[in-house]
Amino acid sequence: MQQFDFYLWLSGLWDWIWGVLLWFWGILKWFVIWILDVIDGIWALVALPENFMFLVRAILMPGLIFVLFALIFTVWYTRKIWARVQDRRGPTHVGKYGGYQLFADAIKLMAKETIIPLKAKRWMYRILPSLLLVIVLLTFAFIPWDPYWNILGAPGSAFPDLSVSLVLIFALLTAVPVFSLLIGWVSGSKYSLIGGFRAANNQFASEIPMVISSVGPAMLAGSLSMFSIVAAQTSIWYVVLLPVNFATFLVASIASVGTFPFDAPVADSEIIFGWRTELSGIYFTVVYFAEFAEQMLYSALMVALFFGGFNGLPFLPGIVNFLIKWLVIYFLFTLVTSSFYRLRQDQIVHLCWKYLLPLSVLNVVLVMFAVVYIPGLLPLVIGG
Amino acid sequence: MGFVGNLGDIFRILKHVFRQVFRRPFTYFYPFEDRPYPEATRGRHIHIREKCTACAQCVRACPVAAIRIDKEDKKFEKDCALYFDYTRCIFCGDCVSACRFEALFHTPIVDISEGDREDLVYGPDKITTLDRDPLEWRGRRFR
Amino acid sequence: MSPDILDEASVIWFGPQHVSAHGWATKLTLVGDYIVECDPNAGYFHRSAEKCLEFRNFRQGSMILERICMMEAFLAEYPYIAAVEKIVDLEIPERAKIMRTIMLEFNRIHSLQFWWGQFAGELGLFAMLLWPWVDREYTLDAFEELTGSRHTVSYATPGGVKYDFTPKFHAKMEIALSRVKERMPVFDDMLAGSPTFRLRTEGVGHYTAKQALKWGLSGPNIKACGIPMDLRKDDPDPNLAYGMIDWEVPTTHNEEHPGECDAFDRLLQRFKEIETSLDIIDKLLPLLPEGPIIDPKARAKVNRLPEGEGYGRVEGTRGVTSVWLKTMEKAQTPWRAKIRGPCFASYYSLKHIVPGARFADFPAIFGSLDPYPGWWDR
Repeated sequence: MQQFDFYLWLSGLWDWIWGVLLWFWGILKWFVIWILDVIDGIWALVALPENFMFLVRAILMPGLIFVLFALIFTVWYTRKIWARVQDRRGPTHVGKYGGYQLFADAIKLMAKETIIPLKAKRWMYRILPSLLLVIVLLTFAFIPWDPYWNILGAPGSAFPDLSVSLVLIFALLTAVPVFSLLIGWVSGSKYSLIGGFRAANNQFASEIPMVISSVGPAMLAGSLSMFSIVAAQTSIWYVVLLPVNFATFLVASIASVGTFPFDAPVADSEIIFGWRTELSGIYFTVVYFAEFAEQMLYSALMVALFFGGFNGLPFLPGIVNFLIKWLVIYFLFTLVTSSFYRLRQDQIVHLCWKYLLPLSVLNVVLVMFAVVYIPGLLPLVIGG
Repeated sequence: MGFVGNLGDIFRILKHVFRQVFRRPFTYFYPFEDRPYPEATRGRHIHIREKCTACAQCVRACPVAAIRIDKEDKKFEKDCALYFDYTRCIFCGDCVSACRFEALFHTPIVDISEGDREDLVYGPDKITTLDRDPLEWRGRRFR
Repeated sequence: MSPDILDEASVIWFGPQHVSAHGWATKLTLVGDYIVECDPNAGYFHRSAEKCLEFRNFRQGSMILERICMMEAFLAEYPYIAAVEKIVDLEIPERAKIMRTIMLEFNRIHSLQFWWGQFAGELGLFAMLLWPWVDREYTLDAFEELTGSRHTVSYATPGGVKYDFTPKFHAKMEIALSRVKERMPVFDDMLAGSPTFRLRTEGVGHYTAKQALKWGLSGPNIKACGIPMDLRKDDPDPNLAYGMIDWEVPTTHNEEHPGECDAFDRLLQRFKEIETSLDIIDKLLPLLPEGPIIDPKARAKVNRLPEGEGYGRVEGTRGVTSVWLKTMEKAQTPWRAKIRGPCFASYYSLKHIVPGARFADFPAIFGSLDPYPGWWDR
């Protein structure tokens, strides 16, 4: 056994320290290089013109910020129309014509105490309302606001023409009744449970006529892509050819949102506020916004499917055309919602399955025959 | 009735609602505008002490015991001080019709809300005059 | 019902904190979407009005009654006045009789307009909640011009009325009545002409005339069954002017089920009530003579009443409203006062009408019966 040589050990110590230092330096260098690489990658991604434009679109222009501002405007617009229908003035005092009223309301609602009922499932109760809003806002990615300024579906962007965007929108919206049912369930209250079941029932009844009504424009344009459907309407708007389809889509979409004539899920004279009864504070705010976002989405869908989307006055930008039509359609939507009495739940299902569904299916059949047998139709509807 | 009749009804309803949207709203900006009140409006009272004879008929007529009388507090020959408790008053007008000497009247002032409960008890200094502190809000003056 | 149905039943409290139950609590037992049991509970609105009356003298008592039901304030205060006039004999001037009648009918119109809005709100149309209330404002303006108060008019007094009609009041009443007449077709379209309204109310909450008589319903709720039972015609008050003119008691006949009525018939009945009231006012206005408006001895006579009993009643908006007074010798206040409100019967008849209906029909049923909690909690 060799004797331990202290001096030999001491002379090797320097090498050891040096090795440790090199090791640390290696980690540091690797980390710095990694971060630089990430920054490089992001920079490379963003610096590519189309990628940068995609970011701008997704966050700024027809994306998140634009949709949020549109949402704020929509709430104000709806309240003003409701007020006018009811012989009132609506918000007037905060800001010019009450324009900032929503901010005041949002601050007030968020500052309120969040009361979670004792019987509620706390974790689900906290997460579900925001998920609902996220799901509803996601669908705005597929709306063709403009020939070029789109998140998805713009020619020349990172994600060009998405071929199934119409189907994707409805696929995302299928989650909404699940959320309302779950919110009603986890609130732990009888009123909200009844409301949740009614909301789910309502949506299952109305979603199918709505989807089938949207088949008509898709068949005329020969595409399931929202962008192509809008682009095909250069010669003629589909509302001229498919007025019945538009009517069924309008009624089914109102039923699907669950606003006034079809507001059995939140009927305040029976079940206090339906599946939203137990929500308070920020959760209520989020759900409230989600409802308005849904109304906004359906009117935008109607503009895109039946009113030619961004086609219109040629000297205006496409998005301005779209927004003008959207304002008019939204006005119509709100007018229809605020002039009828609340239907019972069984009557809603009766209406949707016995009247809207046969009408929309019949229209699909008619469109099929028309596309085949009317000779001048195809060049007209496919567009230039 | 039938389907067509229902459609006609629906369009008639939509016509009424559509007309309503473009009509001038009925409501007005309350603190900025106010409607004209008729002379007969039963608002807060005014007590004319020159004519009062301290007969206490108003106190007896009051169904809710909102009036308190203080006969010691004399300013003129035979008058008295009246304390009106507007937290209790129901503005029925019995005290005014009970007064035979034309010393007590209603005025068309109805916006008498206060921040403090004690301020609604109108003592002799407040009930004999219509003057009150001006109300300012956002740089505009009301009253 | 068999007990196995009730195993799956869930109990829901409709009130007292429910948004559309203002001062009542109804216990509903639901099986699925159907109501199998309805248990009305009174007592959440109790303000002891009858006891309050025992501490008020005969000029002050009507102020209490006005505040039982604000919507029909003058109709509510009149039975008390009538009861006092039964005990002490007063000579009511002709002018005062006609003025009282006009004001009663005027009040009935605005009360029914309020009911339109309330019913439409319960069925979920908020535009119709506010449109009739706008028209009501004109009526209230006319009331304010006459009496100085918008709701609680306290207009009549034993022996006559307190305030005389002025030209300004006539002008404002003309505006209000013409507004009501002008807007009737619009409301007809929006209520009875609305397909969604018919869907919600036809065949909902029906009962037969026999049942209605058994439960003690009165007013529009029984006239909707086709029974012309109206106090204004059957027992005309000598101090009112209903006997001076010709008018028809409005009734509604359900063509599918004769002798029954549903929520839709009750709405039609209330439309006809307004038309009758307009008709009565139109016929009474030219009859208005000149003269005094109050018996000059009334003030002295009402201070102390002789011993006696008085029972005054009037056909209110919601049914027969009556007050019974018992006085002792030289009474300053009534020894005992009893108020009979119309809505106690209509509220407790929910117990028999509601079972079998869907849960969503419950607002339509109680809205069409028009119960007001002040009338059963007194």
